[in-house]
Amino acid sequence: MKRFYLLIPCLVVMLIAGAGCHGGSGDNANTIRIGVVTSLTGSNAAFGQAHKNGYTIALEEINAKGGLLGKKVELDYYDDQSHPDQAVQGVSKLVDQDHVPIILGAYSSESTRAIVPVVTQKEIPLIIPTAVADNVMGTGSAWVFRICAGSGSFATATLDFLRNNGDPKTLAIVSENTNFGQSNNKSMTEAAKAAGLDLVDAETYQASSPDYKSLLQRVKNKNPEVVYFASYLLDASTLMRQAEQVRLNPKYYTSAGTGFAAAEFPTPDKGAGKYAEYTFSVSQWLPSAKWKGSSEFDQKFFALTNTHPAYHAMEAYAALLVAAAAIDSAKSTQSQVVRDTLRQINLAETPFGPMKFDATGQNAHPVLVTQVQGGQYKVVWPPDAAENKPIIPTPEWSKRQ
Amino acid sequence: MLSSQGRSCGSFVNWFYSTIQAILNGLLTGALYGLIAMGMALIFGVMRIVNFAHGAFLMLGMYATYVLFQTTGISPYYGFPLAGAVLFVIGYATYMGLLRPIRGQVDFMVILLTMGLALIITDGVQLIFGADYHQISIPLLSKNIRLGSQISINAPWLVSFAIAAVLAVVLYFVVTHTMFGRAARAIAQNRYAAPLMGINVNQVQAISFGIGSAAAGVAGALLLPVFYLFPEVGNQFKLKSFVMVVLGGMGSIQGAAIAGLVLGVVESLTSLYWGNEWALAVDFVIFILVLSLKPSGIFGSQRA
Repeated sequence: MKRFYLLIPCLVVMLIAGAGCHGGSGDNANTIRIGVVTSLTGSNAAFGQAHKNGYTIALEEINAKGGLLGKKVELDYYDDQSHPDQAVQGVSKLVDQDHVPIILGAYSSESTRAIVPVVTQKEIPLIIPTAVADNVMGTGSAWVFRICAGSGSFATATLDFLRNNGDPKTLAIVSENTNFGQSNNKSMTEAAKAAGLDLVDAETYQASSPDYKSLLQRVKNKNPEVVYFASYLLDASTLMRQAEQVRLNPKYYTSAGTGFAAAEFPTPDKGAGKYAEYTFSVSQWLPSAKWKGSSEFDQKFFALTNTHPAYHAMEAYAALLVAAAAIDSAKSTQSQVVRDTLRQINLAETPFGPMKFDATGQNAHPVLVTQVQGGQYKVVWPPDAAENKPIIPTPEWSKRQ
Repeated sequence: MLSSQGRSCGSFVNWFYSTIQAILNGLLTGALYGLIAMGMALIFGVMRIVNFAHGAFLMLGMYATYVLFQTTGISPYYGFPLAGAVLFVIGYATYMGLLRPIRGQVDFMVILLTMGLALIITDGVQLIFGADYHQISIPLLSKNIRLGSQISINAPWLVSFAIAAVLAVVLYFVVTHTMFGRAARAIAQNRYAAPLMGINVNQVQAISFGIGSAAAGVAGALLLPVFYLFPEVGNQFKLKSFVMVVLGGMGSIQGAAIAGLVLGVVESLTSLYWGNEWALAVDFVIFILVLSLKPSGIFGSQRA
């Protein structure tokens, strides 16, 4: 009986604490909270951090202009720890407890694919900044919008570039065994077939292994003219270092961006350093992009982090920008209204280019091809955006300095 | 006719060199696997403890070496004893402070305790160093030893192979030829009779746990230059070391060392012939086959 009396004050405290929590969250009198799911920890933390920097810059800009609907904007982060199941929990937490009107994220295609059904069921609009796997858009959900170009566009842009620069005939694909890797593998396999290229080898690998030499040896034995990688950053560095060790010498090292397009990749301290040289990558954006505001974003990013941004940070920035534009023109934070406004949105000029979503929620974003030249990403395709000429064929390892 | 013959001959030569190269790569990786597994096998042999924090200890060894490299510029190939010393102390303290009080309880307690410890260590490192990955850059990394035009060995892997091999022999000698080793084996054979022979069981077990942890730490230090580190990096090696300890005969340290080399070569050849995505699957197929067909392990039934 005594114990029972002890329970009562506990319950009272819990109730008060719970009510306090509830009152402080969501869309209250003075703030609008926007939900963000990304990978702040775990193996994709480098990209999650890039996201966070991009969001931070956009948030400062929005609040400097007085916020939205007269209220200050706050970001409500949920770290998915680079695991899809955590991303799903994150959406539940953000929607059910924090009552956010809209969610941005996640980082990886794997996590994003996992949360699409959840936002659809909860009827919350989701803006996808970076997930390139085409199956994140393939569910027919009316609640998802994607800023970046998908894996299909990566494949066609790469093949376009190759056809106009030496027209190679044989191709090998090396891809990670995740949603991102396999989506790019599938897109490239289909696009290569349509373009008449001979796919001589397709390798799938387990991420974060210390040794890929046998895999690269297999590729070497097939002697392809082009190798197309779909890898995250850590493996991109390991793969290129070990490609030198096994002396894999294709004419073109190409890639589906991501690890091969990360700002860290050409640096010796956090990437592949000199082994990154001459690799081609698709890219969604660069600091040198022609769109208005690109170089300003680069400067702000540099002031914040002392490094230059890759496209992942820009895509996060653009995602928050478009979310803010939708809330602003909807004059509401009601999810349904925000979603309907996103459908109509048409931003002619942003640092990420024009933004407008088609019926499926996809933004028609052009894909660039870059090459690492002298430790820098240089745009080499398409011709109207090219800064430098591509260096082809890739010099053999034994002939490099 | 001639040309087709020439081609098939060429492809045979190619196949031959690829296989030799894959076996070499496998042995180089396998030596590190072996060192990790020996540490785990020693702990299991003497204490019947499955140390789920082994991967976290390996990660701590990597961070210790990384911090040393960043602050003093000392290469991991000279700095690895530090990782060993730090991990010895951590292992010793873990046994004395955490495991000794629950000795004699059900095994499940030990599993929960080491799993919890692994989580605390991983999250603690994340708090201090952040979740971001790090790598180090030393001149040796870009050195390759080329044997003919086909075979190449990356110098850092060769150095770590040599160090791991020497340490494995030393560890084997310590267990088989010293008073400590004899005491450890006596405990492994009969935990209740050993103290009656005047063996300080707690002391010997704490030292064994320390040495086992140090082996993981050194392996981490040797892995650092050719890999990268982040707080969760130890997990994949933890799983593999279970496989090797079972393969080598639960608790046999020489068995674990050989199992490491075998697993390295099997993974490498699987990756060459079937593709990299099969390598991990083959690891666990071996694991299940050994457990169901020869639970005492493939190599020797004798325990540490």
